[in-house]
Amino acid sequence: MRSFSTYHPFILFIYYVFVLSITMFMMHPVILFLSLVGSLIFYMMLTSVRTLWKEIRFYLFVFILMAVTNPLFVHKGETILFFLNDNPVTYEAVVYGVFISMMLIAVVFWSKAYSYLMTSDKFVYLFGKTIPKLSLVISMALKFIPSFKQQIKKVHNTQKTLGIYTSESITDRIISGIRTFNSMISWSLENAIEQGDAMKAKGYGLKGRTNFSIFTWNHRDMFVFIIIVIVFIIIMFVNGLGGYSFTYYPVLSNWRITGNDIVKYILVMLLVFLPSLIELKENLQWKYAKSRI
Amino acid sequence: MRKDILIVAFIALLIAVVISGTKIQSVEEYYLTHIDDITEDSETVFISIDARAALDNWDDLESELQSEKYVPKDGMILEETEYVLRPKDTVFDILQRTTRHHQIHMEYQGANENIYNSVYIQGINQLYEFSAGPLSGWMYAVNGEFPDHGVGKYTLEDGDVIEFKYTTDLGRDVQDN
Repeated sequence: MRSFSTYHPFILFIYYVFVLSITMFMMHPVILFLSLVGSLIFYMMLTSVRTLWKEIRFYLFVFILMAVTNPLFVHKGETILFFLNDNPVTYEAVVYGVFISMMLIAVVFWSKAYSYLMTSDKFVYLFGKTIPKLSLVISMALKFIPSFKQQIKKVHNTQKTLGIYTSESITDRIISGIRTFNSMISWSLENAIEQGDAMKAKGYGLKGRTNFSIFTWNHRDMFVFIIIVIVFIIIMFVNGLGGYSFTYYPVLSNWRITGNDIVKYILVMLLVFLPSLIELKENLQWKYAKSRI
Repeated sequence: MRKDILIVAFIALLIAVVISGTKIQSVEEYYLTHIDDITEDSETVFISIDARAALDNWDDLESELQSEKYVPKDGMILEETEYVLRPKDTVFDILQRTTRHHQIHMEYQGANENIYNSVYIQGINQLYEFSAGPLSGWMYAVNGEFPDHGVGKYTLEDGDVIEFKYTTDLGRDVQDN
């Protein structure tokens, strides 16, 4: 199910750096679209179709909200659709809003998938020696949201058994929810301090302290490493030549994809769909092996 | 349950207020403006929009704006034109009427959106602040002098000459000291 997570932590880290930098710093619509699709497929493979569907329902709302907000505040662009309170609402601003929200959602889903793969032990293994304090803070920050969610569920259930949420009124329930959230904030602050103290008591970051780890670098890792580094360098090179440049204001650049462009996008696809392909290959292998029993 | 109804009513009221505050016009409707005819006894002002500084600093300009469409060959987006001055008109009123009449794109920040309580012109004809380096933007002069307050606060008099100028160096290149 999660064969990409069995790769060396360094591969996972460098892959995410590459994918996120391509998604965040290249504003080309095709790249953003491919990255979004890649992140959704990979997230679905890590979890399930049903989880993805549940997430998508929420993020669709966020997507629409962000896409609508941009043309309300940005009035650049040549093609005017209509005037809102004497300010032009332009086609270019609408398109930009759509793609900027696509980028944000792609980044969110990559990060969600990342938190499944990059567990805190891997992160501390990678950076515990070189930047002990920062890596502890980052691994705690990455773990913060999931543990916060868990704890809020616990408090919520306790409150329920105490009979707090018996009121039918939605407003009352929302107010109770806010009260639970309030208590959670002090819990999270206290928890962070305790965690830090616990790590200090264990001698984390001291000289001469050794760590046990089970990660080894083998041929498989080398192969994937070479592929992603070469693909990334070529993408950066093409980008440096202006191959992926796209402007939204004042007029959209040319959308049309010609024969030469396909190679450029296949490179991006290779990078973006790589973990999904690895998962797919492992799944098929497993199915095949099982069918032979 | 009564609380729920109250909340729903409040949200409905909020949406109603927002909707009643918005005005949607089609492009033709917006540009269909009435311009007062100049008669012998009407008070008039002159207005011009000048982007020659962008022409001089062509290389600093964002590459997508390096086109005759946004900066005309002679640098003048609008040659000096005469308009009727209505009582209590500010520079902003005249600019808005002019750009509307000539169908020139213009974006501004409303007087209630900044600390100066005055309208700020962000961009004219797709040429925005910071489009040609960090010191660029739109400035205005009346009768050759650059006022030290915003366009929405300058009340005009008969015969005033307004010049909107695009600067790339905080006004030093358009003779403002």
